[in-house]
Amino acid sequence: MSMEASELQDLSDDADYAASQQQGSASMMRSDSGKRSSPSEHEDAELIYLKDNVAIHPTQFASERISGRLKLTKQDSVLFLSWIPYKGQTSNAKLSEKDRSLYTITAVPFTEVRSIRRHTPTLGWQYVIVVLSSGLAFPPLYFYNGGVREFLAIVKQHVFLARSSEDPNVFIVNDFQSPLQRTLSSLELPSSLPVASGQSVYPLDGGSSNENQGRTSADIGNRVSSVIQSGLRKHKNHDPTRDLSIHLLEKFSLVTKFARDTTTQLFSENNGFGSVDKRWNNQPVHSYPEKLSNIAEEKHNEIRHSYSENDLLKDEEISNDIDVPADPLEFNNISLVWGKPRQPPMGHKEFTALLDSEGRVVESKALRERVFYGGIEHQLRREVWPFLLGYYAYDSTYAEREYLRSVKRMEYATLKQQWQSISPEQAKRFTKYRERKGLIDKDVVRTDRAFEYYEGDDNLHVNSMRDILLTYSFYNFDLGYCQGMSDYLSPILFVMEDESESFWCFVALMERLGPNFNRDQNGMHTQLFALSKLVELLDTPLHNYFKQNDCLNYFFCFRWILIQFKREFEYEKTMQLWEVMWTHYLSEHFHLYVCVAVLKRCRSKIMGEQMDFDTLLKFINELSGHIDLDSTVRDAEALCICAGENGAASIPPGTPPSLPLDDGTLYPQEDDVL
Amino acid sequence: MSYAYLFKYIIIGDTGVGKSCLLLQFTDKRFQPVHDLTIGVEFGARMITIDNKPIKLQIWDTAGQESFRSITRSYYRGAAGALLVYDITRRETFNHLASWLEDARQHANANMTIMLIGNKCDLAHRRAVSTEEGEQFAKEHGLIFMEASAKTAQNVEEAFIKTAATIYKKIQDGVFDVSNESYGIKVGYGGIPGPSGGRDGSTSQGGGCCG
Repeated sequence: MSMEASELQDLSDDADYAASQQQGSASMMRSDSGKRSSPSEHEDAELIYLKDNVAIHPTQFASERISGRLKLTKQDSVLFLSWIPYKGQTSNAKLSEKDRSLYTITAVPFTEVRSIRRHTPTLGWQYVIVVLSSGLAFPPLYFYNGGVREFLAIVKQHVFLARSSEDPNVFIVNDFQSPLQRTLSSLELPSSLPVASGQSVYPLDGGSSNENQGRTSADIGNRVSSVIQSGLRKHKNHDPTRDLSIHLLEKFSLVTKFARDTTTQLFSENNGFGSVDKRWNNQPVHSYPEKLSNIAEEKHNEIRHSYSENDLLKDEEISNDIDVPADPLEFNNISLVWGKPRQPPMGHKEFTALLDSEGRVVESKALRERVFYGGIEHQLRREVWPFLLGYYAYDSTYAEREYLRSVKRMEYATLKQQWQSISPEQAKRFTKYRERKGLIDKDVVRTDRAFEYYEGDDNLHVNSMRDILLTYSFYNFDLGYCQGMSDYLSPILFVMEDESESFWCFVALMERLGPNFNRDQNGMHTQLFALSKLVELLDTPLHNYFKQNDCLNYFFCFRWILIQFKREFEYEKTMQLWEVMWTHYLSEHFHLYVCVAVLKRCRSKIMGEQMDFDTLLKFINELSGHIDLDSTVRDAEALCICAGENGAASIPPGTPPSLPLDDGTLYPQEDDVL
Repeated sequence: MSYAYLFKYIIIGDTGVGKSCLLLQFTDKRFQPVHDLTIGVEFGARMITIDNKPIKLQIWDTAGQESFRSITRSYYRGAAGALLVYDITRRETFNHLASWLEDARQHANANMTIMLIGNKCDLAHRRAVSTEEGEQFAKEHGLIFMEASAKTAQNVEEAFIKTAATIYKKIQDGVFDVSNESYGIKVGYGGIPGPSGGRDGSTSQGGGCCG
């Protein structure tokens, strides 16, 4: 049906395609949604609408849904939306309480809603997607008993709803002015959003708040206020544990392990981590878990690993009059935990030792661990990357891999033939093909041409890149081609030096990262959202800063995530980083911890210079080429360990590069949605 | 370097129309046919002089592919000027102008000055859009119009500077409240003193890009 819309450039323009992707990747939530004071819990909030059996699908399986109650409430003439999961009725044991509270939507005012997209298919469940002014969106809300139309009708009675001229299923909220003068609040510009000044805010998981947490917050709140009154920045001086924490040097070697073992537990025990600052946005002060302070004290005497190689990331230019909130994971400027020193890259001998006599990887975890901590010698990459990417099975033998390669070579030739056999006459009647080919032709000559392997006119490798991308756009016609793909393919082709092998490695990579290139950018939004949750967890003051400065959409990290730092490092370093991330050794989402690591490295500069969105975006862009890889990876490792289960829980299931849970199909079938 | 005003520009238009090349020609006075495609946004800056006043242009060069529109839209905020670019040798890039304009109208300040540029006018033999059509479109939508070539540098300087002159005139005419940075204008040293006349954060943090 989309084919008749000739203006559209790509089949992925299909709303249905977008929707199916959206469902698959479990989508987004607004990070601060749970932290407002909740008018629905107040006496004076008027209940406008209540709908039971409205569910969220955290995975692509409807059976794993979380059911709950959707409510509209009104207070002080502002309409609020909330969705609260039912207690103890999870349909699947895999979904914990934590998952449920992660998805809870606590009283979002419609002033922060930009649009509502409705899906009312004839088959399957109706759902709506609520998109916020920040550009983030909540996961689809499935109306199991129907009633989307009624819901929208009721919303319309209370806020101004206008049907989008571009898409009849999209309703723009508060679009009350002429098209030329739409208010910022109804669009993607959060600057005009009302700020609930003076309101108490609560941690996201406040929806599942328990007594213990309440008490902790109260205690800390008292302590915080006294610290603020005395005007002390380093509140840690008040920490009674500080005086207790002189420890022996020989313990240093244990710090990392110790931290690994304890931080997760500490973080979950002490819910105050992070919750304090939210009450005091301008003067964040932290409470440190006791043991962490001890670690910090120990590290005080330790040699700090030097990563301040470049001036961009140094803090020294910060003017003294701006009080930058301290990093909760630092103590006297020494990070609390840090990653292992990088090892030299794995060589051929070492790799062979990991294989049995027939070529099977005896223990994939050992291989992944080795690569995670040291990377791979370049000549060996061609053998190891196909494992990391999932093209080769770890338990395959030499012979099986040889056979796979020959079978896949034929398969590739067949796929390639599909577009090679298109005659000029046929191409004339095949707009989609012509457009894609035109785009790919244009882009491959704009990919790494300064790099020796791809430089010069009529470069054969550039031609291979074009053929692979065009073939891929037929192999995965729904996804097609999108800018950024050539950035991924370029190092793969350089490493594999074989068109068919490169193609299949690229296919394997896109199984995980295809959602980055969805037309609706859902895969990207999901990751940016997860990143915001991780920063909230690992650096609450920085999170608060971003929140206050309308930077919560994390668009400034867009390029980092879209092409996994390809433009931030030189070629060789990019390959090193990729193989580290592709091990999925500590986390499938290690790249997000890398983002946090870089952001934390710059936190003083960002906050000290009071960067706004524009300045921040420019600043982050200009970090390109100035980030030290090894120390960043070590930081990211430390952060990943530090975040532990809480970190993992901050990342919604299905966030790329997680593989789709359903191994059978790359993309969810339309029937799941329609 | 100090400036009287800083204007934020954004360059928009379909992929491959020459946005990055126009920027490079303007900032570095060179044409580089081989460059990486733009992911997200790239920045450039240059000082110009209008009415004897030093004005810094901070230019945002955006990715053109359709998929990135939702991200690109967040860059419009606070832009004082936009260069809307099409390729005179590719008709479809002209056909898409209306949708770009719609984006700009929706997401940018209503007073944003828009310059329509038909790029690659050195390739007249492959022309697919006539100059008159460009003029007509600009007239209908209240845009300034020029055909230019990033390759030969024809009209590139003029396009950026004419846009700046138009913005400058709007300031003189009192269209903007220059103390409000949402108009994409920052007052620097030597500018019209306003309530925030001293605010000049960008001169020190602009990095090396304003050469």
